[in-house]
Amino acid sequence: MHFLAILTTFIIFLPFQVRADIVVIVNPQSNITALTHHQIIDIYMGRNPGLADGQKLQPYDQAMDSPTRSDFYYGITKKPVSAINAYWARLLFTGRASPPKPVADNSAILDIIEKNPMAIGYLDERYLNEHVTVVYKIKRENP
Amino acid sequence: MCYLARMLRLLPFLLTFLLMLPFGQHVQAFEPGTERLRISGFGTLGLTWGGKKDYGLQKEFIHDSQFGSVSILTDSVFGLQVDFNIAKNLDATIQAVAEDRIRQDFNNIVDWAYLSYRPTASSVIRAGRMGIDLFMLSEYRNVGYAYLWTHPVIEFYKPISLSHYEGFDFRYSRRIKPGYFELKVFGGQTGSDINVDSDELNLRMRPFVGFNTSLEDNDWKVRLTYSTTNTAFIKAPADPLVNALNQVPQTLWPQAAGLHDRLKGVDTQTHYFSAGFSYEKNNWVVQSEFALIASRWASVDMTNGYLSAGRRFGSVTLYTVGSYARSSSRPRVDQNQILSADLQDLAIATQNLLNAVHIDQNTVSVGLRWDFHPRAALKAQWDHTWTRKHGGGLLDLKKPLDHDITLNTLSANLNFVF
Repeated sequence: MHFLAILTTFIIFLPFQVRADIVVIVNPQSNITALTHHQIIDIYMGRNPGLADGQKLQPYDQAMDSPTRSDFYYGITKKPVSAINAYWARLLFTGRASPPKPVADNSAILDIIEKNPMAIGYLDERYLNEHVTVVYKIKRENP
Repeated sequence: MCYLARMLRLLPFLLTFLLMLPFGQHVQAFEPGTERLRISGFGTLGLTWGGKKDYGLQKEFIHDSQFGSVSILTDSVFGLQVDFNIAKNLDATIQAVAEDRIRQDFNNIVDWAYLSYRPTASSVIRAGRMGIDLFMLSEYRNVGYAYLWTHPVIEFYKPISLSHYEGFDFRYSRRIKPGYFELKVFGGQTGSDINVDSDELNLRMRPFVGFNTSLEDNDWKVRLTYSTTNTAFIKAPADPLVNALNQVPQTLWPQAAGLHDRLKGVDTQTHYFSAGFSYEKNNWVVQSEFALIASRWASVDMTNGYLSAGRRFGSVTLYTVGSYARSSSRPRVDQNQILSADLQDLAIATQNLLNAVHIDQNTVSVGLRWDFHPRAALKAQWDHTWTRKHGGGLLDLKKPLDHDITLNTLSANLNFVF
C-alpha cells in the first residue's frame, strides 16, 4: 500500500517534472539582459537579430532528437521540429547560414554558456544556475 | 567581359584547391564557437514511373527522359557541400552535385564555388559560381529534404533549367516593422547543357542580371523577382533548320525572317518576372508562385505558376498541387503563302518545330511526406498531367503531339541530409 502511494504520487507529478519551462540564456559578460521574441526567432532561424553595436551571438542547440529542442522551436515559431529541420536544410544548402551547433544535453549547454561570452543557448529551467543570465523564457506548450 | 568570364570560370577550380588545403587539420575558427570547416551533404534516392511510348517524361532538361519506364535516376541526386571559414567574415563554399545529366563533367558537377564576405551584420557580398536565385526553391531544388514534394513542380521549374551562374551578388537584410526584409542584386553569366528531345543543347547567357526581394515573418513570406539576360550562344539540334530560315530571300518567303527571329534564340533578350508567397500556420502549408517569361524566343515566351496546399498530421504531411505552363504567343507558318517545293518542305519543318516548342500543359498532384527521422523523410506523389495538342514543349516528343494526351507519373523517394 505504501509503495502504491509513492507510485501514484510519482505518476501525478511526472508531467509537471517533464514540462518545466525553457529558458534562453547568455553569458553575463555579453551585457545582454533581455531579448525580444523576434530577436530569439532571428538568432535561431539564421537571420540578423539587429543587436546593439552589431553584436553577434553564437547560438547552440539541444540534440536533434531532444524533446527540449522540439518544445523550444514550437514555443518560438509554433511549428513542428520537422518544419524547422527542413528550414535549416534550406538555409544550409543555399549557403545562407549554418545551423546552431547541437550539444549533448542541458549540462553541456550550461557549460558552453558559462565559458563563452558570445554564446547563446536554451535549456530546461531546472538546470539553471546563477552563472548565466536568462534573457527569455518559453512556456512549454508543444502539443 | 570575356577576360572576366574566363577568370570566373577558373574560380571553381581555384576554390577546390584552396578548400583541400585544410583537410585533416583541426583549426580554430575566427568566430568563437564555430567550426572553421564544415562538410555537409544531401541526397535523394528515388523511383519514378512515367511517360508514354512516344511522349517522354522529363522532369528537368538536363535529365534523360522516361517513356513509360521505371527510373531510379530521374529523382536521385547526391550532393556534398564544404564551407570553410577563411578569415573573419570571409568564407568559401563549394557544392558538388552528382545526378543524371546529359553532360557529366567537372564544370557541371561543381554546382557552386564562391567566396562570401560579410562587411556588416546586414549585408553579404559573394563572388564565384552560385545557385540561380529566381524562385523560392531555386537555390535548393536539388535538396529534396528541404521541400514538400517528391520533385519541383515541372511546369514552373523545368522551363528555367539553369542551376548556377558565375558572377557576384549582394544581399542586404534587416528586420523592419512588418517582417524580415531582404534585397538581393546579382549579375554575371549563366548557361546550361541540356537534353532536348534526346539531343544535346548548349546554352550560354550573358549578361545575366536581376534582383529579388522578400519580406517574411514567422508564418508567411512574399517574394518578387526580376531578371534579364541575353542568349549569347546556342548550339541546338534545330540549328540547321533555323539557319536555313535565315538564308531564305525575303522575296521568296517574306515570313521566313520573322519566324527565324522567333526560333533562333541567340542574341535574344529574355525578361523574367515572378511573384511568390508561402504561408505556414496551424499545420497548414501553402505555397504559390507565378511567373512571366517575356522573350522573342518562342521556346521560352510563357507564363506559368502553381498553388500547393498541405496539411500536417503529426509527422505526415498530405498535400496537393495544381500547376500550369502556357506559351504566351503562338507563331505559325502562314499557310496562304505560295512557296516553291523546297521552301514548302522547310515551311512544314518550321511549323513542326513551332508545334514542338509550344507549351500548353497542366498538372494536378497529390502526395505525402513522412518525416520519420530528424534528418530524413520519405515522400510519395502521383501527378496527373494534361497536355494539349501541339502543347508538348515540356515533354520529350518522339513524334508530333497531334492530339491531347494525359500522362500519369508516380514517384517515391527517400530524402536525407547530413
